[in-house]
Amino acid sequence: MTLLVPLVTGCWDRLEIEERAVVLGIGIDVPEAGTFEENQVTHRSDIPLKKSKRVHLTAQIAVPGRIPLGPGEGGGGGGGGGMQTVWVVEADGHTIEDAMNNMQQRVSSPLFFGHLRVIVISEEYARRGVQNLNDYFHRNPEVRRMNWLLVSKNSARELMKVSPKLERVPSLYLMTSLDQAVKMGKLPNLFLGYFWSSVAAKGREGTLPYVELQESGTLEIRGLALFRGDQMVGATLPIEILSYLGIEGVNQGGGLVFSQVPDVEDEEVIFSNSSRHSKIKVKIKNGIPHATIRVYMEGNLMEKSSDRFRLNSKMILSIEKQLQENAKKGYVRLLQKTQKYGSDIFGFGEYVRAFEPRYWNREIRTSENWQKMYRKMTFDIFVDINIRRIGMKGR
Amino acid sequence: MSLRHWLSRMHQPGKPAAARPVPNRAIQQSENETVTGDMELMIDKVKSFLGDSDDFVIRRFLIFGRYDAVLFYYSSLVDQRELNTEIIRSLMYLPRHLEGKEIDEARLEELLLNEALFVGEATSINQMNLVLERVTQGKTAILAQGMDTAVVVGTRQIDKRSIDQPATEQVIRGPREGFIEHLDTNISLLRYRLQSADFCVKTLTVGRITKTRVSYCYIKGIANDALVHEVEDRLNAIDIDGVLDTGYVEQFIEDNHWSPFPQVQNTERPDKAVANMLEGRIVILADGSPLALIVPTVLNQFYQAAEDYSERFLLVSFIRLARLVALVFSLVTPSLYVSVISFNPELIPTDFAVAVAGGRAGVPFPSVVEVLIMEISMEVLREATVRLPQQVGGALSIVGVLVIGQAAVAAGFVSPITVVVIALTTIGSFATPAYNAALALRLLRFPLILLAGMFGLYGVTVGLILIANHLLSLKSFGIPYLSPLVPGNFQAMKDTVFRAPLWWMTKRPSLLHTQNDTRVSNDAVEKIKQPPSNTLDPLMVGNQREELSDGISPPNNDAPDGSRSH
Amino acid sequence: MEYPRQITTLQTAAVLISTIIGVGVLSLPLFAVRSADAGAPLVTLIGIAIALASLLLLAKLQLRFKRQFFINYSEQIIGKWPARAFGVLVIGFFALLTSFTAREFGEVVITSVLKQTPLEVTVMVMLMLAAISTRNDISTFAYVHHFYLPVLVGPVLLIIALSLKNADVINLLPVWGNKPGGMLTGAITVAGLFQGSFILTTVMPAMRHPDKAVKSIFWAIMIAGGIYLLIVIAVVAVFGNEEVKNLLWPTLELAKTTSLPANILERLDAAFLAVWVTAVFTTLFATYYLTAHALSRLLGLKDHRLFSSALLPFVFVMAMLPQNIMQMYQIIQVVLRYGLLLTIGYPLLLLIVAVIRKKKGNDHEKPMEPSS
Repeated sequence: MTLLVPLVTGCWDRLEIEERAVVLGIGIDVPEAGTFEENQVTHRSDIPLKKSKRVHLTAQIAVPGRIPLGPGEGGGGGGGGGMQTVWVVEADGHTIEDAMNNMQQRVSSPLFFGHLRVIVISEEYARRGVQNLNDYFHRNPEVRRMNWLLVSKNSARELMKVSPKLERVPSLYLMTSLDQAVKMGKLPNLFLGYFWSSVAAKGREGTLPYVELQESGTLEIRGLALFRGDQMVGATLPIEILSYLGIEGVNQGGGLVFSQVPDVEDEEVIFSNSSRHSKIKVKIKNGIPHATIRVYMEGNLMEKSSDRFRLNSKMILSIEKQLQENAKKGYVRLLQKTQKYGSDIFGFGEYVRAFEPRYWNREIRTSENWQKMYRKMTFDIFVDINIRRIGMKGR
Repeated sequence: MSLRHWLSRMHQPGKPAAARPVPNRAIQQSENETVTGDMELMIDKVKSFLGDSDDFVIRRFLIFGRYDAVLFYYSSLVDQRELNTEIIRSLMYLPRHLEGKEIDEARLEELLLNEALFVGEATSINQMNLVLERVTQGKTAILAQGMDTAVVVGTRQIDKRSIDQPATEQVIRGPREGFIEHLDTNISLLRYRLQSADFCVKTLTVGRITKTRVSYCYIKGIANDALVHEVEDRLNAIDIDGVLDTGYVEQFIEDNHWSPFPQVQNTERPDKAVANMLEGRIVILADGSPLALIVPTVLNQFYQAAEDYSERFLLVSFIRLARLVALVFSLVTPSLYVSVISFNPELIPTDFAVAVAGGRAGVPFPSVVEVLIMEISMEVLREATVRLPQQVGGALSIVGVLVIGQAAVAAGFVSPITVVVIALTTIGSFATPAYNAALALRLLRFPLILLAGMFGLYGVTVGLILIANHLLSLKSFGIPYLSPLVPGNFQAMKDTVFRAPLWWMTKRPSLLHTQNDTRVSNDAVEKIKQPPSNTLDPLMVGNQREELSDGISPPNNDAPDGSRSH
Repeated sequence: MEYPRQITTLQTAAVLISTIIGVGVLSLPLFAVRSADAGAPLVTLIGIAIALASLLLLAKLQLRFKRQFFINYSEQIIGKWPARAFGVLVIGFFALLTSFTAREFGEVVITSVLKQTPLEVTVMVMLMLAAISTRNDISTFAYVHHFYLPVLVGPVLLIIALSLKNADVINLLPVWGNKPGGMLTGAITVAGLFQGSFILTTVMPAMRHPDKAVKSIFWAIMIAGGIYLLIVIAVVAVFGNEEVKNLLWPTLELAKTTSLPANILERLDAAFLAVWVTAVFTTLFATYYLTAHALSRLLGLKDHRLFSSALLPFVFVMAMLPQNIMQMYQIIQVVLRYGLLLTIGYPLLLLIVAVIRKKKGNDHEKPMEPSS
């Protein structure tokens, strides 16, 4: 009998897929001064709430029926087809949850985050602190940990409105470009879960892809955003991403660099990385952590700037040496930059915690202490680069 | 009742199935009557009991030209020609060796039986009710003046159809003979495949009015004795007006009447019956039904087909796997679809999810209702095609599915993906060789869909757990229904989804507790493991096979035996 | 109803494994990490060792009284009324365990999957499932666990294997963790999760060869403990111990992070949840059966089917008692720890007294009547 009761009272959680508003991408901005809407939905306006936490939310919602499966009529119909497949909604709020609530008021179907792929935050917001964002998305069970979190130089809103020609759905364009960059070895796999782990870890700081929207509506990766705690403190140059990858020893090789040709004036070759790995050892010297980093890379030569010089094995060896010098310089610069900001994105602190636990327990113990200690850290760097192949051309 | 229970009781080796007095109006009234020599009185009595039917014949004649006698028979049941030629003629003519001799009336019965009647099946019976019973079975009763018993001869002949391919179990490779309704023909089909003295057939009569003959067959020395007694007891316990099909028998002897899963297997193929008997099972046949029952049965047998043993093991294993997959599909696909669409869309890839949402955008019903409507229409369609005559049926089913499905989608009534899911499910359910098991799964789909509609994936899991628990607690004659998976038994597992090569399955399934469990002798296994001899190898026709030595040289070491191969 | 004698060692091991792997799987890493940071795997290992010791103790005790039940022979050892009092405590503990298992299960389901469904419905459905299944005898009980074992172990191992590609070994170091003081409490909490294995006392009298029970125990603890250990290792390696403290159900998050190669199915956590429902069912089934069975033996009845339905309302009400999820976890931790006292201490006491008083069971074929 009791088994029949649920039948009578109805199925509570049943929500058909077409009745859900599938949110594909979210953009979070700091609201511009004077444009904040006070909605008084979750509170009365006479209750004081922190101004510093206000957000402006933009969401990209998939329009059912406009995104066809298979070779669809919709895809070919019109160059601006991408725009019509999603609907962009905006809302303000005192916190993210508040803003979501306000947005729900404007959207008829319940919002569904199961397919959320991209979260874009503006640099302004990142510098203000992302703790609220972390808290909100941690508690929401629908959100995947494999999402992309991006810091954008422009406002997140613009990124949400971009309508590229290659993809049917704009958020998927963002997501695919980042995924492809990871596959091509140009970007570390910094998904949301990894970011959270890094922020939580005492000996490491978080880092996120730093992107910029060009006028033509395309996305460009401008480097990595450096965080200290939950606030962004700086950014790297695009080429420094490769240095980061080198130190971390991420094996998905990729990335192209120029190198001068020694003994030949004014000529360059381009070296393409195909695999890398690194070894890091941490010791305590005079009460200060000291790291020895060895980076091993292999790759091919992709391009030669002119035919004035020929490639032979001696030439290749000297190009290798030149590359090693350049790489070492790059690493040193990147390390100094991160030390300046006190942002240990590489996780040396974790190495200290792991291999020198007594020192860690005695001296450091908290992440703030490590941020201070990191600035004093010293390094020894050794780079080993091997050029293996030169493509199909013989010389 | 369990097998173990039987084993522990020291059961006496069987009393034969007694000729049960089957209650019946005419017979009951004649219970205490006996045949007397007063022929006219007898004729009147018999007329009063059986004379109402128009096909009942009373034929008076003279035995050997001298003695008054009468024949009783049903003209619709007897072989008229045999009656005329063998019985009436042999009775009318005096046997050569008796010519000129005086014949005593008292000796008449003995004469008829031993010297005059050219019939194989003949007995003398005194009790009236038994005589009447025999006549209704198609035998002929001969009464004579002064003879106080009736001589009953077997003359039964019924028109039967010819042995044909079994309608329900068609195979690509394997015999194409199927059982027919006539019990004796069926037994003959079994006998010529089991030409062994150990093959034993026992018959009893079941059904108060239909008096159906039911036989159970087994191989003495392989089938477990306690099992045989158990089957006998259960058959004896059947008390019903009529048994028209083995299905009636099945419903009386099964262990659990409420379970949707069948505990008795049925088959139309004699080779399948024989194979099961060789494993230690018992086959039950009923007169008037072309389906034989096989007991005891476990779940494994429902996706195995007889031709699985005729083909080679690797291929057959994959085909069985395909069947199992189809079976699982037919059970869970609609409920999984409902739970993913309504509760957990995050499981499917994003592109697909949004497209599906698009496909469902105009549909008025929630997916549970949609799936239920489609499933119910599918069931109705299936029933309809079974009842339709051959020619119309085939075309209608194809047209029906395609057109109705397409039209429904075009009308916006259902979404296209639902149609695909339902089609997959239905096709999956046809892949199960056993019709009764397929029925069970068809039925169980519906509660699963309802559960999925209420609780999503959690509901499907709960439903599957309930079904699995039920299967685990089911027993067929004491054997757990999910043997040999549970309890684990390696030997028997050689024939589940994966079928081991025939020469590898050396023992009978131990779950049947057979008395003799060796199927393939170890020598045969050894022989197979040796490399084959290359008799017709082109370069060296006429090789001699080398002895497989164990490292020790043969006695004549260097004997240049001309044609030694190398 | 007859008490069969046919449970094999394999089935005993299966019963133990599937009972142990239950609802604790989801929150175990959290507890382990809270007490020992990166030393969580070590803590788990110690907890497993404690559990192994306690099970062996139980087996030794049971072997002295071959075919009798715990409730019954404890009367022989320490006297009728103390044994009955303790028996009631034990039964009460397992009833509590059942209700809290069901409650925790319900909480997980309605937080992560079915958000609108009332808690009562989820818990009730699960408890009813257990109650219905308890109506069978012990050999079916063993079959059920035997059958579900590969369903549990396979997917769990698969998810662990797939998640390792995101793992970072450095998160597992240092092996002792940075906070060595909390290890003991952590180990005790972990051992507390193994207490469902008390079901051994119901299974052993029905085994074919009770002497081989020790073998089953070793296998069972190795496999179940191994799985727990692997989960803790995988979780800590992938997330790092600090992040784990942010997650209420780390194992679920682990399933969320994995994906099948080529992204056929992305969010595996819904599928994992389905497997986990089976795991919880087997655990609930075992503790419910234990409670019903022990209760029936305590009161001298041979058939426990009456209690399988009678217990349902009590267990359900108890499951609904905690007011919110944090309170629930607090209560569970306390109950588990004190329960350990009962499940380890009491058998230890019994064994010592039995050895001193030289009490041994009779080797009858039939289980003894209670009041002897």
